[in-house]
Amino acid sequence: MFILSLDIREQYEISLLQLILMQVNSDKILKRVLFAASLIILLIAAAMVFSLFKGSLPSISKFGWGFLFSPEWDPTQGREHYGALLFIVGTLLTSVVALIIALPLAFFTSLFVAEYFRGTKIATVVSTLVDLLAGIPSIIYGLWGFYMLRPLIVTLGLSPQGFGVLTSALVLAIMVVPYATSLSNNTIMMVPNELKEAAYSLGATRLEVIRNVILPSARSGMTASYILAFGRAIGETLAVTMLIGNENIIPKGLFSTGNTMASVIANQFGEASGLQLSSLIEIGLLLFVMTTLINAAGKYIIKKIA
Amino acid sequence: MIMKKIKLLVAAFSLLMAACPMAKAQSISGAGATFPQPFYNTAFMAYDHLAHTKITYGGIGSGGGIRSLKDKVVDFGASDAFLSNEEMKEMPASIVHIPTCSGAVVIAFNLPGINQIKLTPNVLTEIFTGNIKNWNHPALKKLNPGVRFPNKEITVVHRSDGSGTTNMFTDYLCKVSGYWKSRIGSGKTVNWPCGIGAKGNPGVAGTVHQTVGSIGYIGSEYAFAERISSALLQNKSGRFIKASIASTSAAGKGKIPADTRVMLTNSPAKDAYPIAGFTWLIIYKEQHYNGRSMAQAQATLRLLDWMTGRGGQSYASKTNYAPLPPQVAARAKAILRTVTYGGKRILK
Amino acid sequence: MDQTTTLNKEYIPTLSDKEDSGNLLIRRRKLKDRLFKIAAMFFSFITIAMVFLIIGSLLAKGFKQINWAFFTQVAPDTFSAMMAKSSGQVIPGGIVNGILGSIYLVALASAMAVPFGILIGVYIYENSKKRYAAIIRDIADILQGVPSIVIGIIAYIWIVVPLTKGYSVFAGSVALAIMMLPLIVRSTEESLKMVPETLKEAAIALGTPYYKVILRVLIPSSFSGLMGGILLAISRVLGETAPLMLTTLGNPQVNWHLEKPVSAVPLLIWQFYNDPNMVDLIWSSAIFLMGFVLILNLASRWICAKKKI
Repeated sequence: MFILSLDIREQYEISLLQLILMQVNSDKILKRVLFAASLIILLIAAAMVFSLFKGSLPSISKFGWGFLFSPEWDPTQGREHYGALLFIVGTLLTSVVALIIALPLAFFTSLFVAEYFRGTKIATVVSTLVDLLAGIPSIIYGLWGFYMLRPLIVTLGLSPQGFGVLTSALVLAIMVVPYATSLSNNTIMMVPNELKEAAYSLGATRLEVIRNVILPSARSGMTASYILAFGRAIGETLAVTMLIGNENIIPKGLFSTGNTMASVIANQFGEASGLQLSSLIEIGLLLFVMTTLINAAGKYIIKKIA
Repeated sequence: MIMKKIKLLVAAFSLLMAACPMAKAQSISGAGATFPQPFYNTAFMAYDHLAHTKITYGGIGSGGGIRSLKDKVVDFGASDAFLSNEEMKEMPASIVHIPTCSGAVVIAFNLPGINQIKLTPNVLTEIFTGNIKNWNHPALKKLNPGVRFPNKEITVVHRSDGSGTTNMFTDYLCKVSGYWKSRIGSGKTVNWPCGIGAKGNPGVAGTVHQTVGSIGYIGSEYAFAERISSALLQNKSGRFIKASIASTSAAGKGKIPADTRVMLTNSPAKDAYPIAGFTWLIIYKEQHYNGRSMAQAQATLRLLDWMTGRGGQSYASKTNYAPLPPQVAARAKAILRTVTYGGKRILK
Repeated sequence: MDQTTTLNKEYIPTLSDKEDSGNLLIRRRKLKDRLFKIAAMFFSFITIAMVFLIIGSLLAKGFKQINWAFFTQVAPDTFSAMMAKSSGQVIPGGIVNGILGSIYLVALASAMAVPFGILIGVYIYENSKKRYAAIIRDIADILQGVPSIVIGIIAYIWIVVPLTKGYSVFAGSVALAIMMLPLIVRSTEESLKMVPETLKEAAIALGTPYYKVILRVLIPSSFSGLMGGILLAISRVLGETAPLMLTTLGNPQVNWHLEKPVSAVPLLIWQFYNDPNMVDLIWSSAIFLMGFVLILNLASRWICAKKKI
């Protein structure tokens, strides 16, 4: 398979290892290694779906499709009936509102750091500070929201006890901003200077350069970061748990309380068993499915807009 | 260059690991209820100094503790609610319950200027079902003649997460109210007819503290430590009792079954606080499973023996928990002496 | 017009008022430009204000507890905390078991997630036309949305029970690694996409073997993006509680054994939260985590600066 002769090694003064390496088709090996690596993701996802499905079987067999549309969550012994509807609505509501709040914040802050004040000390400080937000544990966000934000909302008269969809969405928005800005910053900064200067030389204003040169070029990265941010918002548990009021009702408005899928799992998993546990796991499975659908829809919409 | 740095790092890391005393000390792990966690942590730390045994305890919830024991990934589980007969059948082998202390559930309220209110079981139930909606309801006024209640809506605060505290409270409500028993029932999570949910004892305490006109139930260790004012409850013998370590212990002074599986709520004892209960540590009766060594089994049992003896129990009241009444402690020790390894008793 | 051109800096012209202001179209465009800039400043200001608000309140609440003991001693028990609290003193002890535990967990998780994440990112980038790569990318996005507790449950089922037969560092780090993976994969892919095709083509034209093109050309050029993704992933998992509760349980002492439980700062924070006597320690622990993320941030910026050609 390989030529290992001593003569060649002596003639060219190379080591055995180098001789072997020279003959190895490194491209093929690399391609195989990369492919093998990609299987890890498949493996993890498969393990996850398998375990979630297995755990939800008792609940699926008892409630069937009705699980999706039932707004009841009754753990009373002998009368147990579980349904995911109010959690689905709660999750969608909080995540979407959080993203609506976070997107302009993240978008403009990215432009601030990567375009308007690019390269200056201010930009470094701001981007470092925003990145710090990602390092704050979610429980602290929950506590901060509980002790600082909630009384504010109560004094503003927006809600009697301050819990609710808006409170949690606000805190969620702050939590996901670093995810939305980090990748966007990098992609905006990597837009080649020549493109921008060409546009300026044609007389474009800053806004026009941003809209017509930077954004199209950085669109892929920015979209990826917003999808990641949304994923983070949907899956966030502790912070939302502390602020949403945990009432098993369908939220009637922004200031109403409610409950989310991740939050109910986190709240009740530690103490659940039997059918309740199975229903909680089914909610986890549903969350998986929901994230898939929303991501797919989002990507489709963006492709259409492009 | 990079290879050199990596080699240096690996060498440093291995040196670090070697430097740390690979102690021959025994280590035990347990998981379960958050309610007794402060007591357990303090006691376990003291035990570490005495017996050089490291104990790791994770407060992941009673259900998590039982699950961990079922999966045999811990040496003992901890639960505020004893396992029912069906639940015991689901365990892979027979288990024993060892009570370690008792605690209570206090009813906290936020009414500015009012330090003390009396509640009967009936009024308490009516508040938590939402039938009594306002503080100036005639029933409340009748119970507390000198108190000037404001005209304010009652905000009920309950737990959003599953908890043994909820289990104890709802068990009591079931015992005193046929309505509650048939419509809502008891459990670690229930379908509350009204009120908002807060996470953990601190969540409920914090919400009550910040919301005027609110009322909620809190675990006693939390309430005592924070000196939260709570309502006086009328117990089964008709007296209004304040929640305290003494009145909690008094609830355990009655007849209890041999395996200690009993809910102490609504105790008939004269001085008993009506909402009280034990918390248990749970282990397998036959300790030779999963390749468990005799040493490990011995270490576990010695720990539990100390916990139910004078050593461990002295830390209970220090941390605001009610120690076991003498006959319950004796019962616990007797149960420990039935635990076997390979069929032979471990403790003498 | 301003002429502040240097070789590396970007040349940004400004339309001064003296020119062409009579032209309606140009005035409209200038107005839109100015409005947009104002909007950008406004929203950025809100973001920055929020950052200061949160970090400020954390610092204010927690600075009292930060002392030398904080970093060197293990978490106190509730009794000593109670004694200290009632006498108004600083709570004794510290969080060193959590600090070292967190570092151990995150280091192990990174060792697993970073190489795989980058490899997978490279794979998707190189094969972006294929259906299979698109599926991998979508799955990575979906994994990002899985709540941390569900990942904890999965790690419990697959590692704690069958593999280590007990709560362990390994299980915890696997859970964290799974959480880090999507971020690293996506940021690697996106950063690689921003490297100009010309660079890659030039390297190939010179006959560079494929792996060298990746190692010596693509990765260094996109280094800041890669570091950003890794840093974000680390920041995220440093603060996660739920998955660790189900995989490493916690530990009152420092532990280096792979198959034994270990503590972590978020776990300690959860413990402090539930204990009425130790609540004050929450804020200082949060400050520590932030400080740690800050140091990582600064370190990565320094590394990126050194790497710039």
